[in-house]
Amino acid sequence: MKRFTREAVLLLIAVPILLWTLLPIYHIFLFSISSKDSAFSGTLWPDQPTLRNFGTIFRQEHFYLHHFWSQIWNSLWIAVAVGVITLAIATCAAFAISRLKVRGGRAVMNLALFTYFIPAAFLAIPMYKAMGMYGLLNSRWSLVLAMVTLAAPYAIWVLKQASDKLPIELDEAAKIDGATPLQLFRLVYLPLMTPSLIAIGTYALLLAWNEYLYAYLLLSHEQTIPLAVALGHFIAADDSPWELLMATGLVYALPPAAIYYAFRRYMVSGLTAGAVKA
Amino acid sequence: MASVVFDSIFKSFGSTKVLHGISLDISDGEFMVLVGPSGCGKSTLLRMLAGLEDITGGTIAIDGRVVNDLDSKDRDIAMVFQSYALYPHMTVRENMGFSLRLRKESVRRIAEGVDRAAKILNLGPYLDRYPRELSGGQRQRVAMGRAIVRDPKVFLFDEPLSNLDAKLRVAMRSEIKALHQRLKTTTVYVTHDQVEAMTMADRIAVMNEGRIEQLGEPLELYDRPANLFVAQFIGSPAMNVFEGIFRKDAVEALGVRWPATVKAAEGQSVTYGIRPEHLSFGAQGIPAQIEVVEPMGAETEVLVRIGGQSFTVMTHGRASYGPGERVMVSPQAAHAHLFDISSGRRL
Repeated sequence: MKRFTREAVLLLIAVPILLWTLLPIYHIFLFSISSKDSAFSGTLWPDQPTLRNFGTIFRQEHFYLHHFWSQIWNSLWIAVAVGVITLAIATCAAFAISRLKVRGGRAVMNLALFTYFIPAAFLAIPMYKAMGMYGLLNSRWSLVLAMVTLAAPYAIWVLKQASDKLPIELDEAAKIDGATPLQLFRLVYLPLMTPSLIAIGTYALLLAWNEYLYAYLLLSHEQTIPLAVALGHFIAADDSPWELLMATGLVYALPPAAIYYAFRRYMVSGLTAGAVKA
Repeated sequence: MASVVFDSIFKSFGSTKVLHGISLDISDGEFMVLVGPSGCGKSTLLRMLAGLEDITGGTIAIDGRVVNDLDSKDRDIAMVFQSYALYPHMTVRENMGFSLRLRKESVRRIAEGVDRAAKILNLGPYLDRYPRELSGGQRQRVAMGRAIVRDPKVFLFDEPLSNLDAKLRVAMRSEIKALHQRLKTTTVYVTHDQVEAMTMADRIAVMNEGRIEQLGEPLELYDRPANLFVAQFIGSPAMNVFEGIFRKDAVEALGVRWPATVKAAEGQSVTYGIRPEHLSFGAQGIPAQIEVVEPMGAETEVLVRIGGQSFTVMTHGRASYGPGERVMVSPQAAHAHLFDISSGRRL
């Protein structure tokens, strides 16, 4: 009886939350399969559902979509670069601080924690200025570097906590077995950290994929902007093509959903690994 | 195979001194057990030998070569950890061959080494399993296998049996001892369990607070403990001890006279120690009251009360006494130990 009550309460909480979450997604879906005329009809299902919007997108047949493929490629390129570079930096940092116990490791961790106190938006203008000085404005690298800067502290923090959970005896055993620090890193540390690495890599990748503010500031050329910024351009017009905006949005939302679905096992275990220090 | 020499070893962690000048010679092929309570420094000493801790002072030599500044991998040692420390992402075969792989040995040489060790430890059927698919005892055998494969000069064991259940511990104890008899590799074994120390060692170093209290063969430590600490640490159940005053071939304590063949100065305050098996029940002796009877099959452990203090008496066979009964206990004077009350040293 107690279990029944508990499950009933959970359901009562979960169902509204689920509806609340799914409703906008359904709304986007509804728009994307509607024609321009029926998009605002207010029905729960369009009279004549159509996939024409997607055709328009993929063939780049609209003024706002002339660079669709290069923009989604930009998004992908930037997201993957941010994921890989963040992972490389954070893994090396976590290994050095947690396993090799380098001097100053604690200070680095405290500084990483300190960056949480500064909102990303606060740094946007200084970052713009810095990228301008380096001559990187309008280059995809500017956004990559900015996003790595924002993602790395959290990544280092989580990976360091996860590293701390690996028994130190493994390092000692490897040391006695004759492993150099680099071999220890490659043959013992990396394989054991895989779940956390996948989680953090995905986190950084999705962070960059979803970024709007920095992308909007640092990149302004039609050819260099990621799709997220291009989507923003849709609503600049008086007569916005909402059905195309929603359909493009849906396409843009699919890769992260797929990635998250593929790695969901690691996302939960990997991100909570650093949450509690055992 | 090799000898190991610790010469005046000091160790501090910050301002905390944990080892105070340990000197110990371990001869070629010897099975040396370092035993002592938690925090006595035994593991630290072993880890210094392994190259996992810096040496604050003194020298450690393996096979006549000072190894203070050598990396672990260059010391030609192998270590078995309490937690096994098997690489979870590698199979038993990969775990055991890891050191050879790092040495860039040929695939054939690695396979030979692993097969030889697997044969010695009966690990053949498990070579392709992962550590998580093995029981505690099997994991510990793999850890030993990993050590054997390297064919090192010295084996180091850091409380290897502490994570196993009681029955398995006894079985693994014999296995490690048999392994040593077969390979005859110099072994340094750390444990807090004095039974392990007694049953396995060629010689035991009893450690306490960063010092070696006594070094000797197991029975020598048991029969002639150098001080009160060793007397109480070695032996299970522990030696019965109490304080008294020596007068005319006996110690007056707890309102009775306890005979002893050892001499002390007349009127000297001493600690009297007698092992449980050297107390027996009889028609004459010291009056006592039975508190608890613990039959163990071949032997019976009886807890008695004499003059307000509890004593353990170990008798062969079965006891016909019950709790509350009054009995006579007689100590064997020849087996009584006397210790100086202030220094704790044996008289």
